[in-house]
Amino acid sequence: MTGLLAYSVFFLTIAGIYAIIVMGLNIQWGFTGLFNAGVVGFYAIGAYTCAVLIGPDRTFLFGGFGLPFAGGMLGAVVAAGLAGLVVALVTLRLSEEYLAIATFGIGISVQLVAINAAGLTGGTNGLYGLPRPFWNLTGDVAVFNLVYFAFVLVILGLIWAALARLIRSPWGRLLRAIREDDVAARSLGKSPVRVRIQSFVIGSGIMGLAGALYTGYIGFVSPIDFIPILTFQIWAMLIVGGSGSLLGGVVGSLVIWLVWTGSGTLLSRVAPPELQAQASAVQVILIGLIIVLTILFRPAGLIGEPRAVTPARRGG
Amino acid sequence: MIQAIADGLSTGAIIALGAMGVTLVMGILRFTNFAHAEYLTWGGYMALFVLSATGLEAGSLGPFSLGPGLILAMLVAMVLTVALALIADRLVFHRLRGKVNHITLVFASFGVALIVRYVIHLLFGGSAQYYSNDLRFAWRIGDLASVMPDQVLVFVVTLVVAGGLYTFLRYSALGLAMRAAAENPALSAINGVRFRTILLVTWTIGGALAAMSGVFYGVTVQLRPDVGFQLLLPIFAAAILGGIGNVVGALAGGFIVALVEAVALLWIPSGYKLAIPFIVLLLVLWLRPTGLFRGTSGGAK
Amino acid sequence: MTLKTTLLSASALALLGALAQPAQAQDQSCPVRLGAILSLTGSLGSVGEAIAEAGQLAVDHVNEAGGVLGCEVEYLLRDDQGQPSVGLDAAKTLVEVGGASVLLGAIQSGITMPILTSVAVPSGVPQVSCCSTAPSFTELASEGGTEGLWFRTIPTVSPQGIIMAEKAVEMGYKRPAVIYVNSDYGSSLASAFEAAAKTKGLEIAAMVPYLQEQASYRAEVSTALREEPDSLFLIAFPADGANALREWLSLGGPDTLMLSNALRASEFVEGVGAQYLNKAIGIDNGQIEGESVEIFDAAWVEAFDTSPNGPALHNMYDAAMTALLAIEAAGSTDGEAIAAQMRNVTGGGGTEVLTGPEGFANAKAALEAGEKVSYVGATGAFSFDVNGDVSGPYVIYSVAEDGGFSEVDAWDTARVDAAVEAFNAADQ
Repeated sequence: MTGLLAYSVFFLTIAGIYAIIVMGLNIQWGFTGLFNAGVVGFYAIGAYTCAVLIGPDRTFLFGGFGLPFAGGMLGAVVAAGLAGLVVALVTLRLSEEYLAIATFGIGISVQLVAINAAGLTGGTNGLYGLPRPFWNLTGDVAVFNLVYFAFVLVILGLIWAALARLIRSPWGRLLRAIREDDVAARSLGKSPVRVRIQSFVIGSGIMGLAGALYTGYIGFVSPIDFIPILTFQIWAMLIVGGSGSLLGGVVGSLVIWLVWTGSGTLLSRVAPPELQAQASAVQVILIGLIIVLTILFRPAGLIGEPRAVTPARRGG
Repeated sequence: MIQAIADGLSTGAIIALGAMGVTLVMGILRFTNFAHAEYLTWGGYMALFVLSATGLEAGSLGPFSLGPGLILAMLVAMVLTVALALIADRLVFHRLRGKVNHITLVFASFGVALIVRYVIHLLFGGSAQYYSNDLRFAWRIGDLASVMPDQVLVFVVTLVVAGGLYTFLRYSALGLAMRAAAENPALSAINGVRFRTILLVTWTIGGALAAMSGVFYGVTVQLRPDVGFQLLLPIFAAAILGGIGNVVGALAGGFIVALVEAVALLWIPSGYKLAIPFIVLLLVLWLRPTGLFRGTSGGAK
Repeated sequence: MTLKTTLLSASALALLGALAQPAQAQDQSCPVRLGAILSLTGSLGSVGEAIAEAGQLAVDHVNEAGGVLGCEVEYLLRDDQGQPSVGLDAAKTLVEVGGASVLLGAIQSGITMPILTSVAVPSGVPQVSCCSTAPSFTELASEGGTEGLWFRTIPTVSPQGIIMAEKAVEMGYKRPAVIYVNSDYGSSLASAFEAAAKTKGLEIAAMVPYLQEQASYRAEVSTALREEPDSLFLIAFPADGANALREWLSLGGPDTLMLSNALRASEFVEGVGAQYLNKAIGIDNGQIEGESVEIFDAAWVEAFDTSPNGPALHNMYDAAMTALLAIEAAGSTDGEAIAAQMRNVTGGGGTEVLTGPEGFANAKAALEAGEKVSYVGATGAFSFDVNGDVSGPYVIYSVAEDGGFSEVDAWDTARVDAAVEAFNAADQ
């Protein structure tokens, strides 16, 4: 496998994991209109749950159950879904701005637990030396990367298919109805709160699954994997790609992650060594510009949602 | 305990200054501007820029570090921060207002925040900077507590500014119009209150307060490009606690957030400090969804 | 041009940039590429910039001495933005398409570790970190997880904690408080100090962690002061450390201070004010005096016109130098061959070679003559143990009126080992 191919597989695997998180956010925001600014928290819960369940036994840790990876994935989905349920019960009656701040705080709180609850999470050192599925298939790391990439693709495809079905179902139509006008939905005898909670829990579970996939791929988790900027990146992927469109979410993940990492490679080539540090700041400025410009010139994202109802014009 | 209260009051003043600006913008312009926290940083750094460009010393007044040079620099910084707020509005927010879902607007403000933060990083570098390297020692109040002179000053100035702002909103014609716009934008438009004027004044007040808060932060702590980002959560928590659009509420909210944080650390491990404003916020919102004090209709559903 | 096409062309450009590389990567011989992944922005960006420059300085010195293996050395620096997934991607690019023979970095263990286990070890590329102190690397290495490709030029924090506890006793402190940054570095050093202090009968008044880059540390400082400590062991990075210490001194905390190694930085001393640090003692690994150190310091001042005192500058220079020496000694850019030479070019014996272009030129001459060389670096002489951990001397420093640092007590390797053994015996 040539270097470029090896790198591409690696890049696409990470982008695929991010695309899965974006799908989780898409169901919450794109289809239901629930603002979740704590994406990273659910992703972290999934990653840590998986790590604790599959990890080797170490004396200073509570975890180390040594479960197979499938068990870790299942646990991740359940734990993140449960966290989503609790958060939803507490916050979903708040309006959007409040929900934004409340979930932002949840993301930070989860990271604090990861840092401070050392007996469970390994604290700031993280959990290391975790077993990776398919790692010992052939002993060749290139094979592992390819197989894992296929694995992520399959899961991404399954979630896509499931969500596409869900959206076309009566429940999915109800979601969008609530997003557009929850008073009207209520007047038809539907319970918006209940549907919102269901949507939030499903989305959180999907984010947790993505966390488990990250753990399985890298074999290591630590608190700085879950810094708040990740929430921002995921949102950028959704908004730039096109909120409310499954294809948009995947395209957005690829584009934003390519810009985010590719601009670093590019700038490190172009900028002279003594200006490297400044070039890094320029890189983030460029990313900010791309996001703002996309919103200005393509508010619906690169791939907009196929309109089922009239465009939303709320708040104003 | 008394020391914790003293600590909370002094930190609270800086949060309150930021929160008063945020709450006005949220109440009147109806959007959560995440870039507002970066305006604080911008303000702080602009004052530093003025000092270094003119070669002025920050100076001092009696026991306070806020000397003539720094006061002048702060005034210039306030103007420059208002300029930044207006430019951001003109180039980004204004074009989107009324056209897109307002969360998209919020998201655009994330993008603006990122740009502002890293422009500062580019211009001033990433390391910590100070207006002056003098260290001031705390006043001892009996055996009870130690307080820093600068913090007392910041506290008092914050109260005065809040009083002034309250009077302006309550008694001036323009202030009344602003409050009307916050209560009911449609009605105030019919009444002929020009939205452009209100927009201008709102950003002016928000930007000026942010700059002031940033400078005070620089005086009592230090300047770094991510100062604003770190203050984001407490500032928004304070604004929401106080009820959106309610200036006095935001002032109280700022003090409450900081006080609870300081006092809670008597029992809670300090590693969890960052989560405290948010837990306070959740509790309050659970009990009173529109905040502790009456806000405008802008925030609550 | 619409935004879509702008985006697409930007992405295409990025891809093209990446595509342009493999042709060069095929060519194993020249130039020799040294990859570095450091935090230039993000939470440790303020520390990382200078560390990156230290790596650049080493590469410049080697090129001045004619490069390695007859080739020019290229320094490929990438920013991890303080985010592991970004750092990982950078490392993967450097190895797979950039053709890097050795990886330097990263700073935070949470980024270094995934790079090690997902990029360096699987690809067989040696990784040398200037800065990651977490004990988990030692454990991973002893479990066989690093396959001998892992090295670091900064020691684990355990001896530092033990030595500092001994110094605390010597200074007559009875009830020190510990304020520490809640990162892998801070929490490991704090607990090492706490454990060592207990065996020496010291009472720790308070252990207070703080999170990086907070608005104010008044609450943390008040928490520590409430227990009325007689001294403070501050474990921090320069900017936060200055912030916390200013609060500490302002609120009437004692100026009997002990400072961790990351605080031997001009940014910290200038932030606090040297006049408040006259009773402070600090610890750092390596020497701060001696010929090899002076050559580095002088070269630094000449190159950047700033003070050469900052966290891990000397360690980064040594990481780059050792890696390049190992490549020269190995005679190839094969990962395992380089890793095998890392221990040979350090650890005493053979011709002693110093820092700077001249030092490297001497090393090349000696290697060509078939002699063994032993590098004495910007941190003094050091050696790698079986787990890739470095052991070397420590120094206790004080801060002079002019903000400079001077040596007050030197701990050579034998003295450090004795202290560690005494601790292990007492801890049983």
